Amino acid sequence: MRDVAIIGVGMIPFGRRDEDTLVDMLAYASMKALDDAGVDAVDALYVANMGGGVIQRQTAIASALVDRLSLLPAAADLVENGPASGGSAVKNGVLAVASGYYDVVLVAGGEKMREVTGWRATDFVATLTHPETEYPYGITLPGMAGMFTRLYMEKYGVTREMLVQIAIKNQTMGALNPYAHVEMMITKEGVMDSPHSVVNNPPAATPLHLYDMCPVSDGAAAVILCPLNRVKELTKNLPVVVAGFGQATDTHTLAEREDPTDLKAVTLAAQQAFERAKMKPEEISVAELHDAFTILEIAESEHVGFFKKGEGGKAVLEGKTRLGGQLPINVSGGLKARGHPVGATGVAQIVELTWQLRHELPKERQVKGAKAGFSINFGGFGNNVVAFVLKRGEK
Amino acid sequence: MKEITAYKCKKCGRIHYPKHERCLTCKHREFEPIHPEGNVKLLTFTQIFNLPWGFDERFLYIGVVQFANGVKAMGQIDAPDGADLRLGMTLKAEWEPVRTVFDEPVYGLKLKPLG
Repeated sequence: MRDVAIIGVGMIPFGRRDEDTLVDMLAYASMKALDDAGVDAVDALYVANMGGGVIQRQTAIASALVDRLSLLPAAADLVENGPASGGSAVKNGVLAVASGYYDVVLVAGGEKMREVTGWRATDFVATLTHPETEYPYGITLPGMAGMFTRLYMEKYGVTREMLVQIAIKNQTMGALNPYAHVEMMITKEGVMDSPHSVVNNPPAATPLHLYDMCPVSDGAAAVILCPLNRVKELTKNLPVVVAGFGQATDTHTLAEREDPTDLKAVTLAAQQAFERAKMKPEEISVAELHDAFTILEIAESEHVGFFKKGEGGKAVLEGKTRLGGQLPINVSGGLKARGHPVGATGVAQIVELTWQLRHELPKERQVKGAKAGFSINFGGFGNNVVAFVLKRGEK
Repeated sequence: MKEITAYKCKKCGRIHYPKHERCLTCKHREFEPIHPEGNVKLLTFTQIFNLPWGFDERFLYIGVVQFANGVKAMGQIDAPDGADLRLGMTLKAEWEPVRTVFDEPVYGLKLKPLG
């Protein structure tokens, strides 16, 4: 198998993008990635999207994108893997290059969720739950997270303040990120301590509140992959090396997990990624974790090995996961602030880590001297998880 | 409760709901169909305020429960706002409408506090 490098990345600002179609967004992000790499042809495209068929009533989106970009006759596939679609598409692109079958691959992820009401968007995401034993009851992904949080709080002593501090940290960083959907800083007083907090931050899926949730977003992101040994002839950019990846699954229904607080797929995906990279969690400089709900940032940071079980929340309170701390997590603002256009998220995490590892971000967002990055893209409620370890390459 | 069929692995005894072709623990392919019985223990729950399309209620309580014979399942909890729900409490399980689709009721597990 060949080593694989990321040689180009592109993203468009996430948020509400009424003026753009789904394919518009995918095309804009793809063009940015192609231009960033300096390539004008690819062998294959992998497109990540979860809801085109449901929300836009548009299918065969990869075929539409390859035509829109005039990249014909490149091979083009759509990857739908729920909220882990982006990570899955990147993984498929990496495998295609590593195998030696394709040399230059474009991976684009996008989602357009704001053209329907919140009522419809919530239902759309809930279609990933079990169609007979979960979906009919009106369960939502925030509801799944609420049930998980109640157990995690009881077992590991996670407090509401720990969750609030993650929301504050990530929205503070989002306010510095021009690609973020939510560019509004919040305070503990406003969302937890003051009498107004009851109105500002009402319960959403108990014990979780409004500001524990990521927003529903439109957006797209893209990356260009090639074999590490062809980087010099294809681009002037510093390569970022895909040092390792992992993917694992867990039971479809939450009720069938022997210990619902044990995110086995997160642990296994991370272990695979670290083993392939021949690296340890303590060697990571910056991480993008899938904080669709604040509790997930804590739980994932523990399950992947950054902190012991029960220590992730304390690490947040001690500032260890802030920019400048022991391990900055979600310096982009995470899903919490950058937004969560589901098909785009896993790709956007790779774009953010690439910028971090190329040391290209403004100093207020750059992790100084970042050498290795890590991501978790969390599909379903932890039933399909993709992890990556990336390393800064050499010119 | 005859409306729910769970599947007990004939080799290791693990109970599955919903159906699987192979046991999640030992990969065995033969199962004994069983039905959940009696009251249930509340394993976890949430009160959801932002409901999906198809629900007009202001909120829903949803929980995961375990029957005495080991079957675990999700269901709606029929309780008023502010209800004193606690992990481990006992609930009564019934098979009642849980939503309406095209003016037709959809039946499912409805959980009710005792007393």
